[in-house]
Amino acid sequence: MNPLRSFSARADIETILAELGADRVDVPVLQPADPFLDTAGEELRRRIFLSESETGETLCLRPEFTIPVCLMHIGGGYGPRRYGYVGTVFRQRRAGSNEFLQAGIEDIGDGDRDDADARSVADALSVLQALGVKKHAAVTLGDQAVFNAVIGGLGLPKAWALRLAHAFGDHGKIKTALDALSVPAPVPELPADILEPAEARDRGALLNALRMRLRIAGLEESGGRDAEEIADRLMARFEAATVAPDESALAVLRAFLALRAPVAKAVGALSDFGAAHGLALGEVISAFAAREGAMQDAGVDMDAVTYDAAFGRPLDYYTALVYEITAPDGAILAGGGRYDRLLTMLGAEEPVPGVGFSVWLDRVAAARGQG
Amino acid sequence: MSTGFSIAVPSKGRLRDEALARLEYAGYPVAPPKDARSYRTTVAGRPEIEVAFLSASEIARELGSGNIDLGITGEDLVREGLPDSHDRIDRLLGLGFGQADVVVAVPEPWFDVDTMADLGVVAADFRQRHGRRLRIATKYWRLTQQHFSQTHGIQLYRIIESLGATEGAPAAGQADVIVDITSTGSTLKANHLKILSDGVILRSEACLFAPKLESLSPARKAAISEMAGALEKNGKPR
Repeated sequence: MNPLRSFSARADIETILAELGADRVDVPVLQPADPFLDTAGEELRRRIFLSESETGETLCLRPEFTIPVCLMHIGGGYGPRRYGYVGTVFRQRRAGSNEFLQAGIEDIGDGDRDDADARSVADALSVLQALGVKKHAAVTLGDQAVFNAVIGGLGLPKAWALRLAHAFGDHGKIKTALDALSVPAPVPELPADILEPAEARDRGALLNALRMRLRIAGLEESGGRDAEEIADRLMARFEAATVAPDESALAVLRAFLALRAPVAKAVGALSDFGAAHGLALGEVISAFAAREGAMQDAGVDMDAVTYDAAFGRPLDYYTALVYEITAPDGAILAGGGRYDRLLTMLGAEEPVPGVGFSVWLDRVAAARGQG
Repeated sequence: MSTGFSIAVPSKGRLRDEALARLEYAGYPVAPPKDARSYRTTVAGRPEIEVAFLSASEIARELGSGNIDLGITGEDLVREGLPDSHDRIDRLLGLGFGQADVVVAVPEPWFDVDTMADLGVVAADFRQRHGRRLRIATKYWRLTQQHFSQTHGIQLYRIIESLGATEGAPAAGQADVIVDITSTGSTLKANHLKILSDGVILRSEACLFAPKLESLSPARKAAISEMAGALEKNGKPR
């Protein structure tokens, strides 16, 4: 058995989290499933253990801690707070165990993002060190905001920018999206009442025709896509079909995704990249630099941190910093990131900043052997 | 007497009638059950070949657990009902009846959406525009997920489980798009829905299936493949 699963080990982990200043939080094992499926997507359905309450509510065994902690934060109406937790999460897998022990800290509501980000990375490393992972833990750091700024600066159509942003962090998906982008999309076949106003770029007439069609289909009041949305995309497709795809923009994007540097050299590399391709990255670069300074102040060993431009999470609630900490054999010991969009997705009325990390304790136990 | 085995046949409707006709044509006429309320019988004059009448989806389950040697049922039910069905079940033969496609259909006025990639773009900023994920009504959640998430890399959607009249879900405001079965497309059309150009998830028909089992005796294997061969040689009765 994993030595970190014993009661005394868990007590030790709670002490470690308390020493880092986190409030201990108890998260129920049974959770409503909807918030997880809504935020992380349907792919999760295969990987969580679903159950149903007597009243028909769909429940699941918690697959992670961040979402339940955020829900508790929203429900309690609390101010800025740092939550520490340790416990089992449950994920369906074809082979091997379905239970994993996790510990982590979610830092919710702190508006000083640089300090909070730096503290998150420093705390994750502290937890690993306190658990006996002494050396050679490598931190890979990515930044969704930098990626978004590059996409924005390249002037890609909005639909494509969105698609690329959602594929960020998934090499396969990014490649598929880039390949598709390099081929112009043909305009779909359309009936005359739609084709004529679309060709003439007559938005008013197109809207009327679409509204008529929606009324006939009984979709006028359905609360789904409306005539404006369909007209916008249709007009954009007519534009796209007349403009050749910008090969040079794609080449710049590919060059960006290949950037990888020790974090101390990342600001220089990004500045050079921005200058070489005429991209205005000043704002995201200064945010990057400020965070880097805060990480130094927080005592993070900067030599262990690498910036990887292509590193990200294909989840739309991560907004800037993402990072993971790996053992020498590549096992991911901890993962974290800033999720400023998550709390509003989960029902918070005002935007609430948040950053957090989770440590995979089973892998930590295995990694301790590697010294 | 040759070695016995069991086959399950749908217990009602056109699937039952067509399956029994095909078996008879192939030289395996099924004896009427002795008791009209019974769901078990044998091939006429071949008491070693057990025939069980089960619901079409139950046949998929029984194939999955290896409780029957052969089963005739719709491919959609096997692919949806069993995880890893390709690893666990052999599709021996398509029988040419019960054809229906499992398809992705969107409202006909979505003139900007023609392919799965288009739908992926719509899904990507759906929450931003509507405050919720794109909703898909279906009773085929496994097939939907494979097609959307694994084949087309679309992640941002919600499945609304629908147990009947799925094609009415968009107009009722319960869902935005549907994944459903269709044979002629006329129900979709009547509900102002259109199939995406790459939206056919599965071309389904009634098939003869067998669990992949290592442990069958050679004699039993031979008896089973004899029936499969006879069904294959003797196509649709005129």
